[in-house]
Amino acid sequence: MSDDLNTLKQRALADFAEFVNPMKVRTLKAAGIDLIEERRDGACTWDLTGRRFIDCQTGSGIMNVGRHNREIVEALKKALDTYDIGVFLVCSRQKADLARKLAEITPGDLKCTVYGAGGGEAVDAAIKIARGYTMKTEIIYAEKAYHGHTGFALSAIGRAAYKEPFEPLMPGFRQVPFGDARAVREAMSADTAAVILEPVQGEGGINVPPDDYLPEVRRLCDEHEALLILDEIQTGFARTGRMFACEHWGVVPDILTLAKSLGGGLYPISATVFKEEINDFFIPHPFVHLSTFGGSDLGCIVALAVIDYIEKNGLAEHARLMGERFRAGFDRLTAAYPDLLLEVRQKGLMMGLQYTNTSIGPRMTKKLADRGVLAIYTGNDPSICRLMPPLVITPAEVDEVLAALAGAMRELSGEKGLGKDD
Amino acid sequence: MATGAEILEALADYQVQCNENKRLRRMQRDWSRLLHFVADDTGDIFTMDVVQGEIVSYAAGAAGAPDIIVTTASENLCDMFWGDLNPSQKYLQGEIRVKATQEDIVRLDAITMIIWPDV
Repeated sequence: MSDDLNTLKQRALADFAEFVNPMKVRTLKAAGIDLIEERRDGACTWDLTGRRFIDCQTGSGIMNVGRHNREIVEALKKALDTYDIGVFLVCSRQKADLARKLAEITPGDLKCTVYGAGGGEAVDAAIKIARGYTMKTEIIYAEKAYHGHTGFALSAIGRAAYKEPFEPLMPGFRQVPFGDARAVREAMSADTAAVILEPVQGEGGINVPPDDYLPEVRRLCDEHEALLILDEIQTGFARTGRMFACEHWGVVPDILTLAKSLGGGLYPISATVFKEEINDFFIPHPFVHLSTFGGSDLGCIVALAVIDYIEKNGLAEHARLMGERFRAGFDRLTAAYPDLLLEVRQKGLMMGLQYTNTSIGPRMTKKLADRGVLAIYTGNDPSICRLMPPLVITPAEVDEVLAALAGAMRELSGEKGLGKDD
Repeated sequence: MATGAEILEALADYQVQCNENKRLRRMQRDWSRLLHFVADDTGDIFTMDVVQGEIVSYAAGAAGAPDIIVTTASENLCDMFWGDLNPSQKYLQGEIRVKATQEDIVRLDAITMIIWPDV
């Protein structure tokens, strides 16, 4: 390693600690993931010092088309020759083109779009639309849910630690267990505006619901004239082996929130897509919800390039196949280390490994980083390692991740503190 | 191996370090927890009561229902309270076990960082 590069890295970490957050640096350093990213390509990212990591974190699913995807970079470069972000108050060809494309690729009769710049903003818009359209107030959300850190979205997060410092939050939010349709039914009332769910919970620990859950919640929403909001910010754009996770269960939501991979890891953009009749809410007041940077012309061009890349490269099918390859390896690990690995949760390349106790997630994060794999435990449950690699990951890279997991587990199995009660 | 008396001496210093640090007290003013520290080689247990960021008491023995249980070798407990070891590193090596929420684990490490920034 060059001394100059190492000095540069240490200076970046020191400046980050001083001018951003010292505890973040300390925590990441302890976990062995105090990398300063430099080069990025495909499924990999390189530290400033030249260390290569296979990125299984990807900002929780931002990089479905891979790190620094050249085709998307070129689309953005070309756009920059002519355009800027555009004036959000006026109409634009790029916004119209992307909205038309989203209507085409999203399930069922989802048609109209409101743009944002990030996932939280997309969820805020969804909840505002639900309340505005139904003229009802109550929002039902799930335990361990994650929808973002903005106002309405934060109110629908199922983790107290994110919310408590900022209370009181928005009124009218009711939490129910995830995967339990009966709990949703019992929570519903004449004032229920919407039920908001992730089809597969990401931050909550890669929780895949029972197969009858989403269809039953869909039915309950129809019965109570409430809207179903599905948050596919992490699960969308081929992550689970289908373009959208709700397709696994044949469920069409009334509102679908999209972000993260929509921007290809290159430009922030989010979308809240909803059924045409819901647009009746916006017709009398078209300027009631605005976003300066939402659906910028540059962002729309990038998003169209991302969708094109996913479609023409068959990334949904590739995610399914690579998911199966991972699964075979996970099964071998489960057989070899039953005292460490309790359960595998998976839908395509949205994968979670449930370890025996909460210390193992952070410890495996470090051991995997030592072996060149970036994979971090979930925020809501540190006993679960989340693996969400770019969908362009190759079979050889899948095998490399599996080898790193095996090596890390082998090393861990000789250490203390692995019991369920530790 | 550290004796109970040595750990209590380290705890006394830790209490002073924490309570006299104005920045830490302000930072932790929303944090009240009962902690048990267990020395797994000697069997000694110590209880610490933190109320709104202030260590109001500590004593040998297990008192009350703890919010947080920290288990490690007696020597590690001593070193931790003297600021001679990085608890995060020991936690990630499995040498310190903590039964607590993720947020509380970070809080404990934040205390160390504020008192001993170089540890």
